[in-house]
Amino acid sequence: MTRTFLALAASAFLLQGVVVAQQARHPDLSGVWSYAIDRAPAALKKEVNGQVTIQKIDQSARHGDASTVKGVQPSTPRPTFKPEFQAKVKDLADHESRTDPVFACGKPGVPRIGPPRKIVQLARETIFLYEDISGDPYRVIPTDGRPHRQYPNPSAYGDSIGKWDGDVFVVDVTGFGDDTWFGEDGYLHTDAMHVVERIWKDGDNLVWQATVEEPKVLAKPWVMPARLLRPSTDSLEESPKCVESDRPRLLNDDHHLQR
Amino acid sequence: MKYTVPAVGFLVFLWAAAAPVDAHHSPSAIFDMSKHISVTGTLTRVDWINPHIVLTVEAKGDAGKVEQWTFQSNPPSWYKSVGLARADFAKAIGQPITIQAVKARDGSLYGYMDRIKLPDGSSYELLNGADAK
Repeated sequence: MTRTFLALAASAFLLQGVVVAQQARHPDLSGVWSYAIDRAPAALKKEVNGQVTIQKIDQSARHGDASTVKGVQPSTPRPTFKPEFQAKVKDLADHESRTDPVFACGKPGVPRIGPPRKIVQLARETIFLYEDISGDPYRVIPTDGRPHRQYPNPSAYGDSIGKWDGDVFVVDVTGFGDDTWFGEDGYLHTDAMHVVERIWKDGDNLVWQATVEEPKVLAKPWVMPARLLRPSTDSLEESPKCVESDRPRLLNDDHHLQR
Repeated sequence: MKYTVPAVGFLVFLWAAAAPVDAHHSPSAIFDMSKHISVTGTLTRVDWINPHIVLTVEAKGDAGKVEQWTFQSNPPSWYKSVGLARADFAKAIGQPITIQAVKARDGSLYGYMDRIKLPDGSSYELLNGADAK
């Protein structure tokens, strides 16, 4: 009995050692990363107690050019849809303020939500945390070698598993539903969508790049432009509730970039 | 009359193609970007919600009747990024404030706030384009 206990304890200790050793071999992606959305207007003019200050907005996080960063794969600004879907996508995009689920507080899903706001890297799983007006989603990504769940419920953020390819953390995502867009310009998809996210460190910064494989609607996989994120000291906050009431008031299809 | 259309000098409220956030129509889909108004009244409510914060103001109209105005503005996350929180506006609930905005095209008492002046004399103004340089 004592011998069995000692053997089990030794095994657990060795296993823990292996996990710690594996963890030590990889870069630590943990941290808070700069918020990655467009923001306008560009500044706020404050006049308090007679003193005027202008607070500018840092808009560099979302569409900064990361194409020359080491490890970034060649990308295209837009996906190429099969000819039979192109008119549908254009129509959705032309009327996106009336058709986009995100407009009405819907979930952006993966990959539209972009890089995580915060990463917690643990020995056997990595946790992605986001701030989003649809709620503040999270993803728990196993890194213990398990396969995808066999019958995941279809969802906006899918079923994720992670592994390391050298110093690059690779997240494989399947199990999507078909009611989100994978991009803001009417990028429809089916439950056949497969997304691969690649995340790595570039100095103190974080690089995120995703590839969308959608054999039913895309003519070829879409390698998205990479995003370069800086470390941040901001704390995460619960997003205020989303109450969309403007849709009935819209008098035209004017819209702007979204997430 | 407590609300007026400023003749000159009001901020030209340009909304760039890469405008605010998270999910939304362009303000020009609802608001007449050339119709700037100034409303002075009592701040009655501040809703710190997405996709836009909402301020409610009671102001006297031309006939002396109290009218309820609703103003939306940028998202909470935008205000957070410039160091403002709900409390910065909510401290003025029940007190007179002045809001400058562009007015809804449908004629309703609805606007997009781009400047607010609070009873303690402080003011906050959204800037874009050359004004933000």
